[in-house]
Amino acid sequence: MYSSVCSGGLCGIKSYISSVEIDVSKSLPSFEMVGRLSNEVKEARERVKVALKNCGIEIPPVKITVNISPAHIHKSGTAYDLPIAVGVLNTLGLIPDTALENMIVLGELGLNGDLKAVNGVLPILTEAYGKGITCCVIPADNADEAAYVEGMNIIVADNMVSVMSILKSPNTMADHYLVRGQNLSADEKEPKDDFADIIGQEACIRAATVAVAGFHHMMMIGPPGAGKTMIAKRMATIMPEPDMAESLEVSSIYSVSGLLNRSRPYIRTRPFMAPHHTATVSSLTGGGINPRPGIMSLAHRGVLFLDEFPEFSRESIEALREPLESKSIQVVRAKTSFVFPADFMLVAAANPCPCGYYPDRNKCNCPEHSIARYRSRISGPIRDRIDIIASVSRLDAERVIREDGADRGRKKALSSEDIKTDVLKAIEIQKKRYKGTGIRYNSELSPSEIDKYCELGKEEKEYMKDIYDAMDLTARSYHKILKVARTIADLDGCSDIKVSHLSEAVCYRG
Amino acid sequence: MVNTENELIKRDILHITKEDEGYPMHLKELSGSPAELYYIGSLPDDNMPSVAIIGARNCSGYGRQMAREFAREIAAAGIQVISGMARGIDGMAQQAAVSVGGKSYAVLGCGVDICYPKENKELYVKLMDSGGIISEYPPGIPARAEHFPLRNRIISGLADALLVIEARERSGTLITANMALEQGREIYALPGRVTDSLSYGCNRLIYDGAYPAVRPYEFIDEFLSRYESKKGKITGVEDIDEKSRNSDKIAVFEAAKGNVYKFLSAGERKVLGVLDYTPKSVSEIFYELSEMEDIKIQELLQLLTKMTVKHLIDCVDGCNYSIKS
Repeated sequence: MYSSVCSGGLCGIKSYISSVEIDVSKSLPSFEMVGRLSNEVKEARERVKVALKNCGIEIPPVKITVNISPAHIHKSGTAYDLPIAVGVLNTLGLIPDTALENMIVLGELGLNGDLKAVNGVLPILTEAYGKGITCCVIPADNADEAAYVEGMNIIVADNMVSVMSILKSPNTMADHYLVRGQNLSADEKEPKDDFADIIGQEACIRAATVAVAGFHHMMMIGPPGAGKTMIAKRMATIMPEPDMAESLEVSSIYSVSGLLNRSRPYIRTRPFMAPHHTATVSSLTGGGINPRPGIMSLAHRGVLFLDEFPEFSRESIEALREPLESKSIQVVRAKTSFVFPADFMLVAAANPCPCGYYPDRNKCNCPEHSIARYRSRISGPIRDRIDIIASVSRLDAERVIREDGADRGRKKALSSEDIKTDVLKAIEIQKKRYKGTGIRYNSELSPSEIDKYCELGKEEKEYMKDIYDAMDLTARSYHKILKVARTIADLDGCSDIKVSHLSEAVCYRG
Repeated sequence: MVNTENELIKRDILHITKEDEGYPMHLKELSGSPAELYYIGSLPDDNMPSVAIIGARNCSGYGRQMAREFAREIAAAGIQVISGMARGIDGMAQQAAVSVGGKSYAVLGCGVDICYPKENKELYVKLMDSGGIISEYPPGIPARAEHFPLRNRIISGLADALLVIEARERSGTLITANMALEQGREIYALPGRVTDSLSYGCNRLIYDGAYPAVRPYEFIDEFLSRYESKKGKITGVEDIDEKSRNSDKIAVFEAAKGNVYKFLSAGERKVLGVLDYTPKSVSEIFYELSEMEDIKIQELLQLLTKMTVKHLIDCVDGCNYSIKS
């Protein structure tokens, strides 16, 4: 007796469809599993045998051979428990063949037959649906994320017994399809951060606005306790909502990492990741024997906030080079390599010197050379990728107290909503301008594209010359200033870059 | 290349002992004066007045600016400027003195063939011609922490008076000032805000009886009148009072400021009014300015860049602004 059940697996964040083949033959009783399996897959043998027994199914004394193909891909994870069990039931004639047509099965088994959630359901089902598979059986705990695969008919189950009873009669299977309801519309309503909460720091908030509008990487420099983290956290609130494709991409990464659950079955907001500066390189880039996405990938399409940037290890900082350059991370292992997407906006925060108070020499007594050494921890190539550098100033206690009271309403700070409106306009302009070029944001412009899209008039060119002479700029900073000026002009709704835009852009050169 | 340079410098090194003629009288009369001195260039002229200008290495913009203005006027008035060629106040004062063609002498904590700190190389070379480099350590001896308090006694010893620009509460500068008192030198100190830790030392000195140095020409008047009552009229430097008064940079600056102000826009004038010698961040400037008028942050940023381009203000560390020094 031969049976084949469709299932799927993960390779990095990529998923593939596999088929679980089961053969039952009359021979000495045994249970063999092949197909380049890792330990947790091989252990399915015991889980399946015991679970079936505990569900009241007696396996006759036969030789059972399981092969999971494609056999050249290394399989890992526990999602193969259920397909193996279903396959065994099929060979025993307890489930008809028609029930398994166009059906993918995923799930981990407990010894009592309970089904447990597995990672990567969302990307696997998406892949399966693309290959023409229209129905799936998954553990109930994965139902919410699976519901986001539109068109897929979903059968959820808590345990082996109910799976068996549903699949027994293919004609009534459709009655058990998951009804997508309020689950989809229920949005995570968290208390939202708002830029209006921040006292002062107008210059830095403006810099953050420009950074988001052009997806420029940004670094904030300022004394401790000035509000760098507050500002960074609020940057996600002024970013455009991710579109469907982006949401799916991000949710898939989270699904693979096992970070989706009932309370958060799908990622519909821009991620904000803030790893501590003691984070290891592989936790940032992703790694492990079966590599999993790191924090940089979890920040995909969102904000990666690195507080105390110079305190990160040199290797960690240098590991940023690849994602900043190619927007993805490659993790190479002996037999294969994995590519994790990592298109994030870097927001770094740093003190101006080891004590944090430079250039206020009345507080800072750091010698020049130690300041230089502190700053050199961020290497030139990384610094070059950061288009916007903004200063955060220390707040006078007087101002905090004064603005905390009734006086606060007098001068209303810009709210996230106001800022977001401007940002969305600027992004819309960029979309139109770069239509069909593959460019999305101003920050992605290469030098030759800068010449094309950031052309300066005569007056502006003269002005840039003056700026060069007065401020001792390097050639490198020229392109940065032009890119940022382009974004400022877009925020202004202006098709040409004007002197005023350049003037402002110069302030962010750092 | 470096070797030949060093060879050349070595050839220029002169040596003098306490018994020799030409050993500075100022030092000779002190207890604990160095037995021998090595120098390049010349030694300070005993018959001319001299002032030691000293201060913090990690100084503020205010200190840097004041060191420059005082040293310029003092050197232009024909007074020798003595200091330690250190980073910050010392180096700035000596640079300013040399820049107006005055005489300045650096006392080092290492051999005179070594330029310490390295970033003052330009000044080091200039001082060979317009003054001298002096040390009690033989050539080749590297700078060591324990040398500096000892070299400080020579700085104060060589001068008739000590002018302290900026000093923290526990600092080498204050130790030098105490040493100068023991040596019987007059102490002058630049007053500062009582909340500034860099002005603590100076304010303390003034409280303890040092003369406040408020304006360069007043300082020069005051200093020379004391000097003359002790040592008689200096020859060769005539009408110092008149000359220094005319060239007093602060007065000139203020007059010029009035003129420049006419050409400034209202916004620029207001920004200048808010700025200080201590660099302020954009948000601080914005806060102070927005008390007075309705301005958008991007307008302020544009204004600040334009003013920097016009050399009206200084941009410090990329994101902070101060009055042009």
